[in-house]
Amino acid sequence: MYSPRSEASLAQSCTLQRQEKRLQKELVALIKEPPPGVVIDGESVGQSLDLLVLSINGAQGTIYEGEQFQLQFRFGPKYPFDSPEVVFIGTEIPVHPHVYSNGHICLSILTDDWSPALSIFSVCVSIISMLSSCKEKKRPPDDSMYVKTCSKNPKKTKWWYHDEEV
Amino acid sequence: MAVDEESDTSPRNSTGGENTENKRNEGRGEEERAFECNICLDTAKDAVISMCGHLFCWPCLHQWLETRPNRQSCPVCKAAISRDKVIPLYGRGGSKEDPREKLPPRPQGQRTEPENTGAFSNFGFDGGFQMSFGIGAFPFGLFASTFNFGDPVIRGHGAHGTNPANLEDERFLSQLFLWVAILFIFWLLVA
Ligand SMILES: [Zn+2]
Ligand SMILES: [Zn+2]
Repeated sequence: MYSPRSEASLAQSCTLQRQEKRLQKELVALIKEPPPGVVIDGESVGQSLDLLVLSINGAQGTIYEGEQFQLQFRFGPKYPFDSPEVVFIGTEIPVHPHVYSNGHICLSILTDDWSPALSIFSVCVSIISMLSSCKEKKRPPDDSMYVKTCSKNPKKTKWWYHDEEV
Repeated sequence: MAVDEESDTSPRNSTGGENTENKRNEGRGEEERAFECNICLDTAKDAVISMCGHLFCWPCLHQWLETRPNRQSCPVCKAAISRDKVIPLYGRGGSKEDPREKLPPRPQGQRTEPENTGAFSNFGFDGGFQMSFGIGAFPFGLFASTFNFGDPVIRGHGAHGTNPANLEDERFLSQLFLWVAILFIFWLLVA
């Protein structure tokens, strides 16, 4: 009855459904209970499933207190097996040794250390803790060089991750 | 019953009613979440459990293993994980179907997969053919890890590289090496 081919395409469409469902589940939970310091515009979320923009407030008692940043997530068709593309957008880009002035973030879970058990929630938490642990506002040493030569997509960058605490 | 009672309450109390309803849903969610797949966040289907105790749907875990064939690790705790080291969970009333007839085939408990799996021809499924070779009598899997060039394991201080190397290219390259190695072995056997 079934050729292997049709079974394969059936399995693939199931996979797509499963992935879409997971993203929807994540968004529902995120709107209901965002991580501390994250503000989500519930109205804009439903518009497109592959793009999400949320606001991050600099935590109290840190050098970013009082600042607000826009963080953009872009989800490819392979999400959650493939990491989302995460960048800061807009005019306010946090001045941080791992954040380039074009909004690209050097954070290993966004590329090499990504795992499908991670989520929008855990990425937000990591980014907030990366900002909160920073003691001095400065750009990465190679900022001007990187911004000139990099691809638009930070996932195409071959990052060398720092072992530093920041 | 309880829901009916709540809908009978006056509009003034309706917000309170919704809150208790929400709480109840959350409570029920906690219990169900214990059996959710760590990847799709849904109740695990064709469930398998890793040696480190983490639960997944087999299709979900399989897809993750195929995504990074050279660096197979548990999505939750990063422990080593592999196709042969997961245990299928058969609940009551679960599917009695032969798991091998499914795509992708779920590994069986405590025994290696028979060689004939390749006959099902996983064409069309992402990377399926690679898996069929890996479980044969021939230890092709060895080559996959030996020719593991594309795996960035170097960590350290220093400036960020700006070399726009593409992961897809790297994977292609390591697969190319794998095939060259296989052809070489066959050539040796024939010659
Ligand atoms: Zn799953
Ligand atoms: Zn684990």
